[in-house]
Amino acid sequence: MKTISSAVSLARRAGARAFAAGFLILAVAWQPAGAQDFMSAKEPGAFIDELGAAAIQHLTDKTINSEERRSRFRDLMHKAFNVPGIGRFVLGRYWNQATEEERQEYMRLFEELVVRTYADRFSEYSGEKFAVGKVQRDAERANYATVLTTISRPNGQSVRVDWRVRQEEDQSWRVVDIVIEGVSMSVTQRSEFASVIESKGGTVKGLIDTLRQKVQGA
Amino acid sequence: MRFPDLVHRRYRRRGFRACAALALFALAGGLGGCATVPPKDSPAYQNYVERNDPLEPMNRYFFEVNRGLDELVLKPAAAAYNAALPNPVQDSVRAFINNLRTPIVLANDLMQGEGDRAYITLSRFIVNTSIGLLGVFDVASEIGLEYHDEDFGQTMAVAGMGSGPYLMLPLLGPTNPRDLVGKVVDFAFDPLTYVGGTDTRIARTSVDTVDYRHRNRKTIEALEEGSIDFYSTVRDASRQRRKDEIRNRRPQDDQTSPGVIFEDDQ
Repeated sequence: MKTISSAVSLARRAGARAFAAGFLILAVAWQPAGAQDFMSAKEPGAFIDELGAAAIQHLTDKTINSEERRSRFRDLMHKAFNVPGIGRFVLGRYWNQATEEERQEYMRLFEELVVRTYADRFSEYSGEKFAVGKVQRDAERANYATVLTTISRPNGQSVRVDWRVRQEEDQSWRVVDIVIEGVSMSVTQRSEFASVIESKGGTVKGLIDTLRQKVQGA
Repeated sequence: MRFPDLVHRRYRRRGFRACAALALFALAGGLGGCATVPPKDSPAYQNYVERNDPLEPMNRYFFEVNRGLDELVLKPAAAAYNAALPNPVQDSVRAFINNLRTPIVLANDLMQGEGDRAYITLSRFIVNTSIGLLGVFDVASEIGLEYHDEDFGQTMAVAGMGSGPYLMLPLLGPTNPRDLVGKVVDFAFDPLTYVGGTDTRIARTSVDTVDYRHRNRKTIEALEEGSIDFYSTVRDASRQRRKDEIRNRRPQDDQTSPGVIFEDDQ
């Protein structure tokens, strides 16, 4: 304790404000480099491992507000997830029916819904451990794999999470689905969106209106 | 006849039969029973077939009934349960109920030919009933013998029986005809069917439900928060969850069920 407090007072005397500001800039400048590192993982298992570490490091910080957390979540999501691919998958059979404007507006709202649904969950983080297990490569498609992971709570309960990943043209891996205890987020959302479209007279516009209301309300 | 036509007919017939069989329920409730079948060439038709929910209007009605009951009874009960009992006591409640279920789990482990799992179930029962003081303490988990559930609905699924259409029943929640029959069979393996009266059974089921609701409150909350059609989310998530239980929580095999693949990669 004594060394810490004396170090602090030493730093203060040395005009530490400039130092702190410099450190902050360094940290901010360093971040993209770090993120690039985890995106360069050659193996799906290493990619998910590093993604998990990055999420815990950047998103679980208790001192940041909800807005900051959402913006960090959005950055991480764009780097590590194939967002356009997931959005298109989730719209399913109705993608072909949508006009170009509808597709763009839908993608914007879909992304917003995902950010609002998941980002705030990271504030509830309480020391869960993230462990990567087996990696299953698809037999038929070399560019797909499933990474099996377990998230264990300090009280002993654990949750199984499978990450479906796809290799992009630039050889980097990106997440296309998260399967929690056997429940696929992409598949569940796809049938939900289809359900909404059909209850709104079979038009994508009906879904867009519902999404807009949801996103504005949240 | 083209192959897809065959498939469609089969589904349509199956849907119709299920609908006719359950129209009784709908009539009794004075509700419009069956969903309208969309025209064959539309994307809606494909979705209708995949959804496997010909009784959707009735199911949605009961879903709202259940949500009302949840809000009025179950949610407050779960909150009170949590306030009244400290976590270790809640764990003992869960351990005791799970231990009572042993005959059901064991019988279905054996019927599915899962020898290793049957062995785990039996060892757990011996350890927890003796050292665990009649099942109040889950000692077995601490020595690596983790609890797993089984029921006759799963046994029928493993034997290759389809689930039939989706059903949302008042109080019972999401199910299907196969699992409903399974529940009746499991009744025969439940020790409380033979020991203790109706009151004991009701008490056990109530505590079981309240404890389950409390343990899953965050998941339920998260699902509802991210959803724009909660009925559809629950239908799909509960069905996938059930398939996962039937696979004994083993990860999906990419040969039989490959998971998400983008259209351009197919």
